[in-house]
Amino acid sequence: SVQAHKEEENPQKTMEVNGLMPGVNSYDYDLIVIGGGSGGLAAAKEAAKYGKKVMVLDFVTPTPQGSSWGLGGTCVNVGCIPKKLMHQAALLGQALQDSRKFGWHFPEEVKHNWMTMTESVQNYIGSLNWGYRVALRDSKVTYENAYGEFVGPHTVKATNKKGIEKLYTAERFIIATGERPRYLGVPGDKEYCISSDDLFSLPYCPGKTLVVGASYVALECAGFLAGLGLDVTVMVRSILLRGFDQDMANRIGEYMKEHGVNFIREFVPIKVEQVEEGTPGILKVTAKSTTGDQIIEGEYNTVLLAIGRDPCTRKIGLDKVGVNINEKTGKIPVNDEEQTNVPYIYAVGDILQDKLELTPVAIQAGRLLVQRLYAGAATKCDYVNVPTTVFTPLEYGACGYSEETAVEKFGEENIEVYHSHFWPLEWTVPSRDNNKCYAKIICNIQDNERVIGFHILGPNAGEVTQGFAAAIKCGLTKEQLDNTVGIHPVCAEV
Amino acid sequence: MSWEERQVRGYSEFVRAAQSYHGRPIFALFCGDKDAEGRSWCPDCVTAEPVVRKELHNLPDESVFIYCLVGDRAYWKDPNNEFRKNLKLTGVPTLLKYGTPQKLVEEECFKAELVRMLFTED
Repeated sequence: SVQAHKEEENPQKTMEVNGLMPGVNSYDYDLIVIGGGSGGLAAAKEAAKYGKKVMVLDFVTPTPQGSSWGLGGTCVNVGCIPKKLMHQAALLGQALQDSRKFGWHFPEEVKHNWMTMTESVQNYIGSLNWGYRVALRDSKVTYENAYGEFVGPHTVKATNKKGIEKLYTAERFIIATGERPRYLGVPGDKEYCISSDDLFSLPYCPGKTLVVGASYVALECAGFLAGLGLDVTVMVRSILLRGFDQDMANRIGEYMKEHGVNFIREFVPIKVEQVEEGTPGILKVTAKSTTGDQIIEGEYNTVLLAIGRDPCTRKIGLDKVGVNINEKTGKIPVNDEEQTNVPYIYAVGDILQDKLELTPVAIQAGRLLVQRLYAGAATKCDYVNVPTTVFTPLEYGACGYSEETAVEKFGEENIEVYHSHFWPLEWTVPSRDNNKCYAKIICNIQDNERVIGFHILGPNAGEVTQGFAAAIKCGLTKEQLDNTVGIHPVCAEV
Repeated sequence: MSWEERQVRGYSEFVRAAQSYHGRPIFALFCGDKDAEGRSWCPDCVTAEPVVRKELHNLPDESVFIYCLVGDRAYWKDPNNEFRKNLKLTGVPTLLKYGTPQKLVEEECFKAELVRMLFTED
């Protein structure tokens, strides 16, 4: 056994044993990227620009309900893109209601057709999938729709949907396998519940829906489903939007509640049963209180689980090449150059430990990594002050510290919070809420009142936040902000 | 049965042809009209056609290749022509797999690799 251990430690010897000649030129590829999502594709295309021989392996294991999708990863297929489009569909519904006060006249009640929306969204996604394949082929990146897993040093096995296996070797690897939705682990969850992986291509209207979870996925989905006219309930175990500024999170929850979303707080489902088959059918959910013994039941057409996402790192053979993962979470720890503990294996995107799970972050990290590897660059990915937006019915944009974290890090006496409510001009005529939109900045008193946190709750929050994120990156102070003349009449002038 | 080619001119003829082949994979190449000498007013179409034709042997069995002349230059330039409005074509040449978002537009049609990918992959 000592002998075997020694051989494993000497990859050169192993390769010789396997009939492979050692040396840089013997690998099939310079770089193999496992995972064709935001991070993986950005890295692959960048590497091809430097003349490297690159392969991308992308494969979608179908959901328990049988859903699958094409090249592009979560964002394009079952994340940001369809989410924003459906959020827009809901906003348009609201706009139709508002338009009456602005003089538009249409006598009938306005109704929404789920299939029309879903077909349009899926058609657009299809064009993106195709666009990626053209881009890869044009950049001479080899793409295989196959499940990649490590089987030995510098070697992966790629299995396509027909079960055919091929082996490939590369000098370096980037793991960018992303995550998939977590299930509850209670009876009926996989058989009857859907996740965000299924929602955006659901071939029938979900009807009366129970959303389990309080993540931004849960609230965004609950938000647009309600906006489309469906009866929506959100079942929350404890707090909303863990990790986000809690004051903002609660305002979002309040707004959703006042606009027709039901909330069941401090309960978790313990059983899901089918009462009636159908598309949709009727499901019965039994839930238990987290604070006592109370049990409740409810019937819904659809149960959407949004309780978290787990990294796809457990079944890709990382043990065969010695890549460490956090056993509890499945995330991969990397240094500030996205390198794992195995020098020739790197990782980007949602699977990274302690890094933000956002498409632009993965893209940036992937590109910069490749530039460092093949173009002699030295820039590392900056994970600080990354702006983000939650597309709930009342949108929330943020950049920098939450109030809680700022207090914790700098001390309450060292931070100053400036805040205000505002009433978007567009909301005045149709008599929409006049006290819900809200913005605040958190400043570090000891550092020239530097703006260290920016939060806004209101329409087009993402558009507003982007500019402020650039300013914060340049070291924006309260004084500079005060000296910036506002644009009128816009929400951002607040 | 291997693949077959059908030549049409104008939008209504194209639609009738596509409908008649319903159920089979349909690939279509849209080009500008040709003059009496057989030269198209669209220079990119002149470049693309031989590239596409060279890859036709890769078409899957049972599929149909519709070669469609869209009309003269004036018709094509009209932003409301039926190809633009109904098929969402943005330029000629366009090579597409009918009923899917898969298509190649203009210079993309010059690349044999991309044409082959469109014909052979899902």
